[in-house]
Amino acid sequence: MTGYPIGTIALVIVAALIYFGLGQRALDRLYLTDKAALALIVAMILGGYIDIPIPFAGVDASVNVGGAVIPVALAVYVLTKAGTAKEWIRALLAAAVTAVVVFSVNRYVLDAKPWQTNTDLIDPIYLYPILAGLTAYIAGRSRRAAFIAATLGVLALDIVNYLSALFSGVRTTIAIGGAGIFDVIVLSGILAVGFAEIIGESRERLQGGPATRGRDKKLLAGLKNENYGGDREKDISIVNNPDRGDDDER
Amino acid sequence: MRDKRTIAILVAVMITAGAAVLVGENMLISTFSPEIGAFEHELEPGDYFTIQDKDGKELEKTSRHVYAGDEFITEDNMHYRVEKVEGKTATAVLIGREEIAWDVYENEKGETVSASADKSLPVQQQPRNNVIAIYHTHSDESYIPTDGTESIPGEGGIFKVGNVFAEKLRSMGIEVVHDLRSHEPHDASAYQRSRRTASKLLSKDPAAIIDVHRDGIPDPDFYIDEISNVPISKMRLVVGRQNQNMQANYDFAKRLKAYSDEKYPGLVKGIYLAKGNYNQDLSPRSILVEAGTHTISRERAQKGVALFAETLPPVLGITGVPTPGGGETGEGTSGDAAAALFVIAALLLGTAIYLVISTGSIEGAVKKAKQFVTVEWANYLGRRKKE
Repeated sequence: MTGYPIGTIALVIVAALIYFGLGQRALDRLYLTDKAALALIVAMILGGYIDIPIPFAGVDASVNVGGAVIPVALAVYVLTKAGTAKEWIRALLAAAVTAVVVFSVNRYVLDAKPWQTNTDLIDPIYLYPILAGLTAYIAGRSRRAAFIAATLGVLALDIVNYLSALFSGVRTTIAIGGAGIFDVIVLSGILAVGFAEIIGESRERLQGGPATRGRDKKLLAGLKNENYGGDREKDISIVNNPDRGDDDER
Repeated sequence: MRDKRTIAILVAVMITAGAAVLVGENMLISTFSPEIGAFEHELEPGDYFTIQDKDGKELEKTSRHVYAGDEFITEDNMHYRVEKVEGKTATAVLIGREEIAWDVYENEKGETVSASADKSLPVQQQPRNNVIAIYHTHSDESYIPTDGTESIPGEGGIFKVGNVFAEKLRSMGIEVVHDLRSHEPHDASAYQRSRRTASKLLSKDPAAIIDVHRDGIPDPDFYIDEISNVPISKMRLVVGRQNQNMQANYDFAKRLKAYSDEKYPGLVKGIYLAKGNYNQDLSPRSILVEAGTHTISRERAQKGVALFAETLPPVLGITGVPTPGGGETGEGTSGDAAAALFVIAALLLGTAIYLVISTGSIEGAVKKAKQFVTVEWANYLGRRKKE
């Protein structure tokens, strides 16, 4: 950035720090410690410079380490850590639903002539993450499921593009996750966790606390407020237990 | 249990603020405008919008979808805002006249430099990276009179326009990275694919990044012109409003137009402030250029873009041509500062509202914010005791 005006550097640094900071807070909620989340953000920034080419004739295709390999690996990791079979199935189903929603909107809503539908709310760069985040949260009902679904769901769009390019023979570029940490895949995962957080927190606030009826006692033990089940102040050992339901309150 | 209604209102405010953090104030404004939404989808070639003033006088034509709230600067620097859209005719009102003149920027620069010459940091005095990046999101765009068709997927005539643009810049001593990647198909996801290209180009640390397109309005007269008896196509600059860099890029566009107006009056047709992002969130020196329309010859577009190339080095303050005064000010433009402040303000507001919802009270939010500063950072620094 040498030689740029100070104002420009300030703008870029402020925007990047906020994005990385929010990203770190989002990853923090995925069975990761603060430091691991920070390390992943750094890894995605650095991995953004590494592209792995996919050797298929006729299509210029590659997978980016920071924008695709790391977020997808994290999604798979979070999936394997899912507590129950129900959560596991829900997350995968949510990913499938997200993929279908994002693909359909791209194909049938946005691709239609804009003045006829007038359904365009905001730029697709933001619309896909928002759609993925909302769909993933509604279908998955947890931050982790939302992350898995949004990441894998948006990745599916690239795979469809890749296959269609392979068969159509039209010259195009399939650089999966190619924008690194600024790619829509990463943006979607982070936003999905953000939505889950906002919607989840608001819903719990409105209903006066998390739903506790019929929940496993082990899960309830992780809740902070003694009225919900566990008493956090008396049972310090759960503070560092990353499997808790709401680990944002450390 | 707190008052549900208060919380519901807080939720609504928070979601709105969150959206603002993401895409900037213009989206926030557009959310409340009667015709919400926009994106970077151009219409089919031949379909276009006409924008007129209240008396029915034609002001603009564009193949971009026009929405209420869109703004544009005409060739003579009149700033209009679109009030309503009926069918494909939009009505705009005059907001005022923009002071887009190169000598104004020069004076501003002269004052700033002399006032802060001693205080300027070393980084400001280093030469700007002498690189300009060029790419083409819509890799099929072509010119009927020359290319025979308006669209050649993956191999559009637009690449040849980009070649001339790049060559002209190189002839002025600028290093150019002209990316020839294709981003087919030409659909709503094209910008997501080209985002990856733009991101790669930005790793070269260019002074500016330019996405070269052509318009799709059928009337060739709208773009054709002659400069020094050479038939050319005018250029139109497009700034995306749905991103945090909008003010900075708008300022950049105005400076480009100012210099161009000085050197080649009529070359830059105007500036369109469109909804959408156009990957301009990635850099505060990014611009989209419409090099003519599909019904003019590609040669005109190439001649026009070659003249336009001459405006970039002086505005960016990079070497290559004699720069009248040396380019941008060390402090950056007012657009940069406004954009940075907006981003910070939106973050603080969003966080505050989130904390209030999350904890259920203002006291709780303050407590948690304090906890963030003490416990969280202690943890990063490794001083937090194991519990």
